[in-house]
Amino acid sequence: MLQILEPDLSQTVILEACDLLPGGFAIIERNGAVGYANSPFRSIFDMPDDPDLKLLLENVCGGDETLSSKLRRGERDFTVSCRGVSDGRTLVMVAETAVVTVPAAVERRDGLTGLPNRVVLNDQLTEALRGPANEAEFALLLLDLDRFKTVNDTLGHPIGDKLLCHVVDRIRSCVRDTDLIARLGGDEFAILQRSPKQPEAARALARRLVDLVGRTYIVDDHLLNIGVSIGIALPPADGADPDRLLKSADLALYRAKEEGRGRHRFFEQEMDARAQARRALELDLRRAFALRQFEVHYQPQMKLADRRVVGFEALARWRHPERGMISPAAFIPIAEEIGLISQIGEWVLQTACREAAGWPDDISIAVNLSPVQFSSPGLVTMVIAALRQSGLAPERLELEITESVLLQETAATLTILHQLRALGVRIAMDDFGTGYSSLGYLRSFPFDKVKIDQSFVREMPSDGDSNAIVRAIIGLGVSLGISTTAEGVETQEQLDRLRAEGCTDIQGYLLSRPIPASGVGDLLLQLHS
Amino acid sequence: MTTEIHRIVYFSRNAIPGSEETIAAEIRQILESSRRNNTKADVTGALMFNAGCFAQVLEGPQSAVTRTFERIQRDPRHGEVLVLDYGAKSERAFANWSMSFVGRDLREKDLFGAISSETGFDASRLSAEVIFTTLHRLVVEEEKSAVG
Repeated sequence: MLQILEPDLSQTVILEACDLLPGGFAIIERNGAVGYANSPFRSIFDMPDDPDLKLLLENVCGGDETLSSKLRRGERDFTVSCRGVSDGRTLVMVAETAVVTVPAAVERRDGLTGLPNRVVLNDQLTEALRGPANEAEFALLLLDLDRFKTVNDTLGHPIGDKLLCHVVDRIRSCVRDTDLIARLGGDEFAILQRSPKQPEAARALARRLVDLVGRTYIVDDHLLNIGVSIGIALPPADGADPDRLLKSADLALYRAKEEGRGRHRFFEQEMDARAQARRALELDLRRAFALRQFEVHYQPQMKLADRRVVGFEALARWRHPERGMISPAAFIPIAEEIGLISQIGEWVLQTACREAAGWPDDISIAVNLSPVQFSSPGLVTMVIAALRQSGLAPERLELEITESVLLQETAATLTILHQLRALGVRIAMDDFGTGYSSLGYLRSFPFDKVKIDQSFVREMPSDGDSNAIVRAIIGLGVSLGISTTAEGVETQEQLDRLRAEGCTDIQGYLLSRPIPASGVGDLLLQLHS
Repeated sequence: MTTEIHRIVYFSRNAIPGSEETIAAEIRQILESSRRNNTKADVTGALMFNAGCFAQVLEGPQSAVTRTFERIQRDPRHGEVLVLDYGAKSERAFANWSMSFVGRDLREKDLFGAISSETGFDASRLSAEVIFTTLHRLVVEEEKSAVG
């Protein structure tokens, strides 16, 4: 039995203590009236006629058993429990339900490789950058695996995942325990290399990584070859905060990839300037498309057998308000990268079909398709629409694709090509000789024409290799029974040589430079006279 | 033994800096550790060193061969590793050798017979078959002369 140990302890002190308890309680008389309520209890309910309290007393109180229920008042949640005490009275206890705010667990490790992730990298970068200047001696290396996607795409993710684990093991074997390796994404990694000997230490590590990661892997029955490109940034010059430093390393990585991958690059201020110039060009390009600052020019193609112009190639031109005419070589890669190429391509196709529809019936029009257009849906529909709107006969439209189109998702690409051909449209292989020049590509689809890249034609009279390539492509065309068009023909000597080799068609400045649609009529008269 | 035997044949370039003595010491060390590791892993094979290049055959259960190869790949003492052949084979060719070695005399330039003089030991022109059969022949010859 609990006893009041000190006889002098007055009821006043006990009641005072009751008011200081963290929870509220009250003693309810047998008749339902509140006999006593401590201060916390009174602060929760409006005594004595609070409707919640009345409801509570009716429902849960009375009897000996302990009952509890939840009660919500305003924004606060309470747990109310009742139990019988002596003389038929009821003790009601009220406690506020603690709102346990569990912070969403932040993932700090990568599930596959067990490496720390970007969150940890950011933390440690922040930490490392906070130290005194002479202690901030570290380098940030950003790694991007070359050709990893191909492994994943061709052999599947299980093989890709195993390969990644091998790669991580090799990276681990190159760094010290004090360095941090983080996985930032699919095939992206970062290394925070702590060494006072910068940039030499970073350079040595990068060279070792490029060598080691680039060596052959055996995964199950496959011999796999990938590579790594690395961008390096050094604080504080390349960035005094994590974001800035990461951005610098990323720009350096971009440059390493641009220069051919499988190498490292240190960040240089000039890269930032270039990136900004590029961004400006991007903005200009978007604006140009919105304002339709593009034009389509046309370059004639002649059949050597009867010296008749058989068609024109449509070439996009960008008339920049300040920089004048910009060639496709300068802006198409950017348009591809920022996803504007499909829209520009569609506009060029529509324009070319519309203008060509007004030309003589025996003149065809050739339009280039970008690989990006093959991976975006609706290419076939777009071609059908352009033909319908212009009224151009499908047989007069020729679509030019490069080998790189066939590099990606061959089955899907071949389906599209066959659909296009089923419309009556002709398909030409463009720039042949510059890429993989695989005979397999030429065999994979019944092309109507092969175009010989102008770089070979230009060097043809002097360069033996170019001669051999041109001859080989023409021979290929003959054996496959398809026509060959030599691009970039500038001199009579080139023309004579091409004709002697059996080339069927030519295109180039010898005939005419690309001209606006308005000049096509006159040019035809001139070339046929 | 029912485990399928896998064989890998590769070629690489020496990356050990220093004099012939230093290189010879490193190669001795490579051989010692590979013999130790290979015996444990049930891997057999042959290593050749000549004209600044390594050629090696490894054979054994697939997982042991790939693990051994991965360890060798990470070795900084060589580079430009070119895998010439990899796959399942019906039997071991170097069954008695944890790691046979050809090229004891570093000054000896004629280990590959006519091949090295004709090609200047050009990796890209050596097929796996040639390296494999050459290594095999040399190991067998040395085995005979040791017995004789």
